[in-house]
Amino acid sequence: MNLWRLELLRLYRTHRVWILLGIFAFFGALGPLTARYLPEIVDRLGAGAEVAIPEATPELAMAQYSGNAVQIGLLAIAFVAAVSLAFDAKLEMAVFLRTRASIRSILTPRYVVNIGVAAASLFVGSVVAFVGSAILISTPNIGGTIIGSLLLALYLGFAVAVAGFFASIVRSVPGTALLTLGFLIVIGLVGLIPVITPWLPSELVGAFDSQVAGGDFVYWRSIGSTIVLSAAAIVASVVLMERREI
Amino acid sequence: MSRAVVATTGISKRYGEIVALDAVTLSVPEGSVYGLVGPNGAGKTTLLAILSRLRTPTAGTFEVNAARVSVLPDTPRFDPWLTASEVVDLSRVLNAPGTPPSAVKTVLGQTGLHDVAGRRVGGFSRGMLQRLGLAAAVVGNPELLLLDEPAAALDPAGRREVLDMVTALRGGSTVVFSSHILDDVQQVCDNVGILNRGALVYEGTLDELVRGAGHAPTYRIEVRGSGDAVGDYLRSCDWTLDATVKGEFVTVSARSAAVIERELIRCLSYVDIPIVSVKPLERTLEDVFLEVTK
Repeated sequence: MNLWRLELLRLYRTHRVWILLGIFAFFGALGPLTARYLPEIVDRLGAGAEVAIPEATPELAMAQYSGNAVQIGLLAIAFVAAVSLAFDAKLEMAVFLRTRASIRSILTPRYVVNIGVAAASLFVGSVVAFVGSAILISTPNIGGTIIGSLLLALYLGFAVAVAGFFASIVRSVPGTALLTLGFLIVIGLVGLIPVITPWLPSELVGAFDSQVAGGDFVYWRSIGSTIVLSAAAIVASVVLMERREI
Repeated sequence: MSRAVVATTGISKRYGEIVALDAVTLSVPEGSVYGLVGPNGAGKTTLLAILSRLRTPTAGTFEVNAARVSVLPDTPRFDPWLTASEVVDLSRVLNAPGTPPSAVKTVLGQTGLHDVAGRRVGGFSRGMLQRLGLAAAVVGNPELLLLDEPAAALDPAGRREVLDMVTALRGGSTVVFSSHILDDVQQVCDNVGILNRGALVYEGTLDELVRGAGHAPTYRIEVRGSGDAVGDYLRSCDWTLDATVKGEFVTVSARSAAVIERELIRCLSYVDIPIVSVKPLERTLEDVFLEVTK
């Protein structure tokens, strides 16, 4: 048993890995389904009412997936990461770890495993959405799907780093998760200022749809700032947790 | 004199206006079992947290001359989805990676958890968690063990086992054992520090404490019938410091053990009262504790 295995067991035995994979896979399946069958669904529910429905395209199917996955999936990732990273929430457990290992060695596997499972869940969902779209509508842009998934995975990694930072500010798991989500929402709102927009990590959320639709790659600035901010959040969390008394 | 594994110099800890520790200077000899006693809120847990480097003192300095330190909090908790064996193995890997994995089974056996080694700890009682915490603390034979109320949650049999384990550690590991159960401390500790309202009001060997340097040697005499006549006579003796009577019991103290041992029986022979018993009164840790903390 070591701290890496501890994190893997935490995800496996608490079923969180299946929950995350399930959420992304579910929305991966739902995206193409709703894109393909939305006209029939609306027709049955609408009782003859005229509703303008976009044509079923692979871009629409993938966009349905990314929209749902980012909202619900991000919520789940924030809570799963908060449970793992806010290890000071339970004092006696914190005593066990802190008196036996350095903060850096405690946090490293937690960051890596949580970012890894977030990215893996996203990729599983992307594959399901891609295959579903190929079966039900037509094959999406594979290069765009891969690049879009990588950019979205980077954003999820940023979300995990933010959760780690807030875990070093507050002790509670719900507090960490809610602050993380609140911060990500605020970042999204800041994105309304055009000058700042290209630099924001939240730009990566829209990158998925854009890349699948064959849009230009204009994300270097947000990639750079996301990496820098994530690294800063992780370093800050280590320093703050080392200083924190329990 | 053996070296000090733990030495603090004027350690204080304040939380705003509240003084949790007030200039505590103590020394824990290598290989000893050091009892840190005090009422609730005396600062025991704060001091152990500082020695564990979980908190920093507001003032003063401290040294911990041990490479491998294990800490047992008063109410140990672990991830509920881990098995008992995994908890101890994680502790072994983190604290003493050179220790063979077979040590896990050994300490689980010593703490009475052998039969539940493969069970997840989420269903463990508080007593079982305390035993598991102790097993995780002792695996790999740490040089210094900081135990915060290790037997508080246990039934009498479990308490006996824990105290025996702590006693067995003497000489090999240095143990700082915090407790408000003075009988436990008296049974296992050879050195004692008494904390009261954040201040260290006594430190020394248990023997010195109980025998009491400066404390008048005292005997209790049981007589047949009233002890008044014996009390009156003893009070008239020039070597007597004090003599008190409660029914058939007379308690008498003198300036020195030599005097009372020489004079008491001789004086009693002059009083025509049947004597049932005469025995020295040894102070318990509780007596001393109440004296120094009142």
